[in-house]
Amino acid sequence: MSSDAPVLKTSLPSIHAASSRQSNRSPPKPRPGDSRRSPLKPKPKQKPSKPETDPRHLAIALHHAHRIQAQKDAQDLILDRILELVTLPSSPSADPASPSAEDTRKFKSALVPFQPADYDNLIQERNIEGLCGYGLCPRENRKESSRGTFRITWGARGSGPGGRGREMNIVPREQYEMWCSDACAERAMYIRVQLAAEPVWERRSDDLRGKELLLLEEGRSSGKGKSAVRDLASVKEVLGQLDNLHMDTTPEPSAVADDISRLTVQDADAHSRELAMERGDRNPAFQSGRVDVHIQEKSSSGRTVTAPQLRPGDEKGGSIEGYVPQDS
Amino acid sequence: MDEEYNFSVDDAERETIRVWRTWRTVFEMLQDRGYEVTDEEVRIELDEFKHKYVNEKGYPSRDKLKIQARPTEAMKAKYTPLPTPSNRDPQPDCGTIYIEFCPDDSGIGTKQVRTFNHTVDEGNFHTGIFITKTPISPSAVRLLSGIPGRICEHFQEQDLLVNITRHELVPKHVLLSPEEKSRLLQRYRLKESQLPRIQVSDPVARYLGLRRGQVVKIIRRSETAGRYASYRWVI
Repeated sequence: MSSDAPVLKTSLPSIHAASSRQSNRSPPKPRPGDSRRSPLKPKPKQKPSKPETDPRHLAIALHHAHRIQAQKDAQDLILDRILELVTLPSSPSADPASPSAEDTRKFKSALVPFQPADYDNLIQERNIEGLCGYGLCPRENRKESSRGTFRITWGARGSGPGGRGREMNIVPREQYEMWCSDACAERAMYIRVQLAAEPVWERRSDDLRGKELLLLEEGRSSGKGKSAVRDLASVKEVLGQLDNLHMDTTPEPSAVADDISRLTVQDADAHSRELAMERGDRNPAFQSGRVDVHIQEKSSSGRTVTAPQLRPGDEKGGSIEGYVPQDS
Repeated sequence: MDEEYNFSVDDAERETIRVWRTWRTVFEMLQDRGYEVTDEEVRIELDEFKHKYVNEKGYPSRDKLKIQARPTEAMKAKYTPLPTPSNRDPQPDCGTIYIEFCPDDSGIGTKQVRTFNHTVDEGNFHTGIFITKTPISPSAVRLLSGIPGRICEHFQEQDLLVNITRHELVPKHVLLSPEEKSRLLQRYRLKESQLPRIQVSDPVARYLGLRRGQVVKIIRRSETAGRYASYRWVI
């Protein structure tokens, strides 16, 4: 390339541009790294007029943009729900032990997308409003008059170790001031442990965790173990219920067989959707996933396959790309 | 100055001084961002501040502390995006700023923020700054940043007690206009993503009210070169 040599020596941009245009006639190939960068900076509005816009890249960028948008929407929804739940219960004389059916329904349905951290925000928000942290309690939260950072609480008579004396707890002031009473604290925490830890946009549609919440009273009445040690019992009940929930989701063997038989007859579109779901690419919240799979069966001709046979010279190792080594 | 007062003055006086210092920093901040503020406002003396904003009990009355300021022409020029074929006459992306001090002592949640948002929305302000004495709850922060089309920022009084940009170790940050930014990128033949970065939550970025995608020039003293300029892309 003798004609290029003087061109490259100059630093004038116009000449350089001309030479690079010559050598780069073909449109620049999209780099594979692009797709990895797109989740950081999704550009939902890429100009379609640009010649190098790859439709696949555009689809990936859009997919991630939708994901992020869905996350934002979910967060907004949770914020709205928190603001809603601060105003519960509807009547100032409601009893947290036996809330009205309407309030209970509202409370439970609003808590579905919550993570435990969001629930903590709700408690904090209620406390700022001067209410008990438990969503169905209309009373005010306790106010500590002294300026100490900790407070010693005494349990009921006979609650201490070995059934003698009183149980003693040292509680940080903030925790003590969250609730109106210990009963409400227990109720609120009973809800909190049932919430799903993963954010709502990552949950799978068949995950029942956090969807069917139980109030403490409901859990008590339906649970089998009602032991005297209340705290332990409540935790056990929750765990037991979680097990139940998981049991519900695991299909029975016959159902699995049905599923498998259904899989074989399903068309490719359903397959790809399932695959995307399995990879976590596709969330029920979004319209379409990133993976578009077309399964193509390899047409097999009716030839019978025979085992390879020994050719002459193979016992010495045969040839290497046509070269037969001489033995010396 | 602190030591001088700490022992001799009572609670109210100390509180007044804290608010006065915050007040001055806020005006310096407005000046640095490019809003129209007068020198008298920026250099308000303690006595004058007390005269204006202290109630009969000696405490500062925070509900009187409200500021509105309009951007200067220079700031408007800096915030005007480059003209594009589809938009030949772009408008500056900045406007009147509104600053409010929250009078509540503790427990600032969504209620106060919602009132503030409402004020900003009603007054049709482009930017709002909410200054509180104590931290605000996470949901309140989310609510504050959630008004579409407006920018709401939050500062705590203690963040503004001293002006951090006047510290000797903090170099000078200068916001580049879109035109300067494009010239910079052209000169070094860079894409903006190839620049070093600065976070929006960086204290100086918060002070200057930087937005995602802008570029700041940081000018520091250098022993060998005299002055050294570097650039940061705000993310």
